[in-house]
Amino acid sequence: MKAKYLEKLRDQLQDFQASKADIDEILNDYGQLYDDALAKGKSDEDIYQMLGEPRQVAYELIDTIKIKQHKNKRNKIIALMPFISVIIFMILGFGWDLWHPGWMVFLLIPMTAIVLNSNIKNAVIALSPFVTTLVYLLLGFKYDLWHPGWLVFFFIPMISIILNTRLKEMFVALSPFVATITFILLGTYYDLWNPGWLVFLLIPMLGILHTRKLWKLIVWELSFVVAIAFYLYMGYVQGSWVLGILGFIAPVATSIMFGEYTFVWYMPKGPMRKKVYILLSTILSAIAIFVLLGLFAQGWVYAWQIFLIIPVASIILFDKFRVTAIMPFVAVILFFSLGYFLNIFEWSWLAFLLIPMAAIIENA
Amino acid sequence: MNTQFKKGIVEMCILSIIKQRDMYGYEVIEKLATDIDVNENTVYPILRRLTSQGLFDTYMEQTNIGAPRKYYKVTDLGKEKLNEYEQEWKSFLKGVFKLLGGTANES
Repeated sequence: MKAKYLEKLRDQLQDFQASKADIDEILNDYGQLYDDALAKGKSDEDIYQMLGEPRQVAYELIDTIKIKQHKNKRNKIIALMPFISVIIFMILGFGWDLWHPGWMVFLLIPMTAIVLNSNIKNAVIALSPFVTTLVYLLLGFKYDLWHPGWLVFFFIPMISIILNTRLKEMFVALSPFVATITFILLGTYYDLWNPGWLVFLLIPMLGILHTRKLWKLIVWELSFVVAIAFYLYMGYVQGSWVLGILGFIAPVATSIMFGEYTFVWYMPKGPMRKKVYILLSTILSAIAIFVLLGLFAQGWVYAWQIFLIIPVASIILFDKFRVTAIMPFVAVILFFSLGYFLNIFEWSWLAFLLIPMAAIIENA
Repeated sequence: MNTQFKKGIVEMCILSIIKQRDMYGYEVIEKLATDIDVNENTVYPILRRLTSQGLFDTYMEQTNIGAPRKYYKVTDLGKEKLNEYEQEWKSFLKGVFKLLGGTANES
């Protein structure tokens, strides 16, 4: 609890651009207060009450902290970036007739603001939509790899998971994305849709690793291995994939025996459970809509945008709602949809200016 | 009571108790909370602000429970300020009691 409290306080002070020396001193003092209160037999709740909510504390301390000196330098760079971008754009345009894709230099404006105004973790997350969009456009325009190039968008939620999840849960949380990417690649390039779908079993196989009893874990994992081996044997050697499915009775029966009726990994209790369900439904709906649009409306080129709903939903559900956090995703959708459907990429990049505007309005 | 007004009184009380003897942060909070109705989480920010204004000096002292503790000591400037605050406070109270029809306790 103490570590968590101090961590929250550190985050708040960093948000206020407090200098490292001030942050260290304040955290040290609060660490002492916490220890002294603990030594007097106070509970963590009492201490939290006594010290105050970290955000409130940071506000109270604001007039005693020194703002980082390089903040001014950073603001100068951010303020200059629109002019620098225009100059580079003009040089590229008039000099080499590179109006397109020279307009991309304007992406430097929001990207600089994000990089210079966030800590490394938030900057990486906020930059991920830009980088993935650029990679996607590059793969599409240059190599005509719209499909399966759209898979790069999975990196947006994946990066967010890697940076925000504890190691123990990270692999489970990443497994749906890794499985889907592997499945699509196996299917597209080797036509291995079947038995490629078996990679999805990675999700429950990793999910059950939290099982406490070792023997249960071994039996459970073995049931999957046996089922997979049986399925492959029946399919490849005996030529009957349908009969091979019978092998999956083993893991299903094991799951029922061990009291886990679903293959969903550890679910938190209370209101968090509802949020996890909403997020899971969002992910499944996004995949369904994407596949439907792709198959029936030849929408591979634009339907990937639906995946941007996933990080947006997770920000709204699990984080503080902030327009600044969501704006990069909204901007990417506006940029791409306007550009693709109305063929105005040379204008639609302006949507990216919404990101620094939202940040300025919200933080003012 | 107006928050700013109360904060001013708490500042004066903090200066006063630390003038009697040097104290560490938690001790100040405890002492204040036993005698007056104070929002405990405002105490450290006040200590820090008054220190940055030069009214307190701080020094570290080893303890037997672990890391050394930071102690606060009133500076000469702090004593001067406290004197000013006390004068203002007393004359303010005197006025209030006069208005209420009672007598001020000038101790």
